Amino acid sequence: MAMTLSDLWVMTQAASLSLLLALASIALGTALALLLTPLAFAPWAIARMLYRLFIFVVRGTPVLLLALLIFYALAAFWGRISPYTAGVIVLTLYLAALFAEVFRGGVLAIPRPLWDCCKSLGLPRLSILRRVVGPLVARYTLPPYLNVCVMAVKASSVLSIISVWELTLASREIIERTLDVYRVLAVAAILYFLMCFAIDRLGRRLEIRLAARGFAGERL
Amino acid sequence: MGQYRAWLEAYGTAYLEAAAWTLSLAVLSFIAALIWGAVLFFLRLSGGTWVARSVDAYVQVLRNTPVLLPIYLIYFGFPLLGVLWPAAVCGGVALVLQNGAYICEIFRGGYKAIEWVQHDAAKSLGLLPWTHFRKVTLPQILVHSIPALGNQAVLLLKDTSLLSAITVIELTMQSKVLTERTGTAYAPFLVAAVFYLAMVWALEVLTQLALRSVRWR
Repeated sequence: MAMTLSDLWVMTQAASLSLLLALASIALGTALALLLTPLAFAPWAIARMLYRLFIFVVRGTPVLLLALLIFYALAAFWGRISPYTAGVIVLTLYLAALFAEVFRGGVLAIPRPLWDCCKSLGLPRLSILRRVVGPLVARYTLPPYLNVCVMAVKASSVLSIISVWELTLASREIIERTLDVYRVLAVAAILYFLMCFAIDRLGRRLEIRLAARGFAGERL
Repeated sequence: MGQYRAWLEAYGTAYLEAAAWTLSLAVLSFIAALIWGAVLFFLRLSGGTWVARSVDAYVQVLRNTPVLLPIYLIYFGFPLLGVLWPAAVCGGVALVLQNGAYICEIFRGGYKAIEWVQHDAAKSLGLLPWTHFRKVTLPQILVHSIPALGNQAVLLLKDTSLLSAITVIELTMQSKVLTERTGTAYAPFLVAAVFYLAMVWALEVLTQLALRSVRWR
C-alpha cells in the first residue's frame, strides 16, 4: 500500500511540530546557556567545577538516555507528565550544554589586550560586555551556534522514542500502516533536509558576510 | 547498602552484557565508518566532477537528516528486498553510513588545512604524486583529524543508544527493560549513564594520548 496525499499532509504537519520543538528548545537553551557561561569564568573554583561537571554529564550521555531518565524521573516525582514537556526540558538541557561551550569558546577567542584596553579607557564592566565583548562574541560564535541549531532539529527526532509525536514518529506510524518504507522515509528525509540545510546555508552566508567585514578571528 | 548489593547481583551481569554490546557496536561501527569515510574522501578527491558531486550530495543528505532515518530505512526497508539481517547489523550499517559522511568531511577539513606550497615543494623535490600523498599529505590529514575523529567517536558511541528503537539490547534498551521489569522509576537509567560517561571519558583520554603521541606538529 502506498502512502497517500493525506499522509503527506500529516507528515508536513509533523515536520512543523519538529521545527517548533527545536525552536522552543533553542530559545530556552540559549537563555540557560547565557546563565551557564559566566560560571565557566567565575572566580570561584566550585562554580567552574560545577560547570564542567554539567557539560561533561550532559554531553557524555546520549540524548535518548537523558530523555528516558527525565521522562521517567519527572513522572515519578510529579505524576504523569506530558512527553512534550519532558521533550522540551531534555532538548533544552542538551542544547544549553552545547551553546554554553560555544559561547565559552567565543569569550576565549577575545584577546586579553582587548579587555585591558577597555579597562584603561575607563569603561565600566557592564559597558565592556555590552558594547565590546558582546558584539564580538556574537560574531565569533554565530557559525557554531547555527551548527548546534541544526543539531537541535536532528535531536528532536530522538524524542519520538518517548512518544513525542513529531516527524520521525509520524513517519514510523505511516510506515507501520502502509509498509511504504522508501517513499515515507524519503519524504521525511527531504523535510528534515529542508529544515537543516536552510539553517546551514544561513550560517555559511552569515559567516562569509561577517568575515568580509574583518571579523574573522585572526584579523583582530 | 544491602539492597544495592542484591540489585547488583541480580542485574550486574545484564548491564555488563549490554555495555559489551554498546562498546562492540560502537568500536566495530567506528572502524567501518573510518574505512567508508576514507573511501568517500578519496572518491571526492580524485574522482571526476560527477563522482565528487554525488559524494557531496550523499554527505549533505546524511549530515542534514537524523540518524534514526537510515536506521529505519535499513531495518524496515531491507526486509522488503528480501535482505533479512539481525537488528544489530541493520543498526550498525546505518551508523556506518551516517558517520562515514561525517568522517569524510573531517578528512576533507584536514586536507584543506594543509598549505598549498607543499605541492610546489614536493614537485621541486621530484616526488611522484602518489609518494607525495602517501608520505607528506596523508600523515598530516590524519594528525589534523585526530580531535575531530575523537569527537565523532563519542557521537557514534552515544548514537548506538538509538538502536534501542529497533530492539537491539544495548545499554539504553537494557535499562528501559529493567525499569519496566523492576518498577524502579529511573535508577536503571542512572546506572547506564555512568557506563556511558565512563566510556566517553576513556575515549577522551585516548584522543589526548593519540594527540600527544604526535607532538611533532
